[in-house]
Amino acid sequence: MKRIEIDPITRLEGHGKITIFLNEQGEVDNAYLQIPELRGFEKFVEGLPVEEIPRVVPRICGV
Amino acid sequence: MKLKFGIYWGAACGGCDVAILDTHEKILEIADMADIFLWPLAMDFKYKKIRALEDNYLDASFFSGAIRNSENEEIARLLRRKSKVMVALGACAHIGGIPGLANMYTREDVLNRVYRESESTINEEGIIPREAWSEGEYELELPRFYNTVKTLDQIINVEYYIPGCPPVPLQIYSALTLVRDGMLPPKGSVIGAGDRALCEQCPRVKEEKKLTGIKRVHEVIPDPEKCLLEQGLICLGPVTRSGCGSRCIKSGVPCRGCYGPVDDVKDQGFAMLSALASSLDAKEQKDIDAIIDTIEDPLRTLHRFSLAASMLRRKKV
Repeated sequence: MKRIEIDPITRLEGHGKITIFLNEQGEVDNAYLQIPELRGFEKFVEGLPVEEIPRVVPRICGV
Repeated sequence: MKLKFGIYWGAACGGCDVAILDTHEKILEIADMADIFLWPLAMDFKYKKIRALEDNYLDASFFSGAIRNSENEEIARLLRRKSKVMVALGACAHIGGIPGLANMYTREDVLNRVYRESESTINEEGIIPREAWSEGEYELELPRFYNTVKTLDQIINVEYYIPGCPPVPLQIYSALTLVRDGMLPPKGSVIGAGDRALCEQCPRVKEEKKLTGIKRVHEVIPDPEKCLLEQGLICLGPVTRSGCGSRCIKSGVPCRGCYGPVDDVKDQGFAMLSALASSLDAKEQKDIDAIIDTIEDPLRTLHRFSLAASMLRRKKV
């Protein structure tokens, strides 16, 4: 099975990778979008003083 | 002859890349000074093109973002090999930045919270990202999510640092002109920033007042003319490098240290703790402790951007 990788996908915020599998006839058999990036804001803002949250979460996306 | 640049992000928000674009019309001068070979935010290049370049082909690469997973590390090492000069761009590459706060937890803590426990996630099977996955003929890989967030110079040699979250656009531009004009300072230098502490340039008035307690921002309406620290608000100005244009302080918001430490300071957070200790209106240990105890969340206040670069570095595991 032929495999096409688009890595990285570009002109967006963040990281992404597309993998396309082609069958014997060269048709798309399956395709996957993967997001390889994680920082974990959900965890490390826990317990942070609430007035500090607006100074931290803008760093989720700066685009 | 035109220079050759690479621009890349690891564990980042893209704000450093946007700060490059925020040089406005100067972006045309940047386009004149260099051909870009990688810049995922703005242009379409693939990793395999970079892998095919000769070693040291690029004159300089600018890497923003922390090292959070094996892909960040792999591309950092790749760009190091392909670049004569490696520049850490922004707080995350420089000192770990906000993503470095994850060093308060383990890899499992983070993955469990994000994929299994978060209120908005439905994941009945409790699946977390796996490095290798297959179903029949389909095989996929993901980068390894590390236990510890690292700064760029904890994994590769870095020649220069452009600090800030994000760096001031014109400071990025002036740093790029140092590359263009062959005017770079000794290796290891911070470029595109000041040499002194932010405090020394602060427009607010200091009265050498001793602190009787630490306040949270909602507990005080600060006098707009006076030092925020002397009004009881923790401000990292005494230990943070200047160069940001005092954006926060001018808006009445105390500094959290995104420009990193001044030259002679190794650990920004502890230097701030030391500065605080010498500003307290207390002599006895118990009185000092009582005031220090009023700091809400000292770790994430004093090491907000620098935990990954600090002596603490991470939670013990």
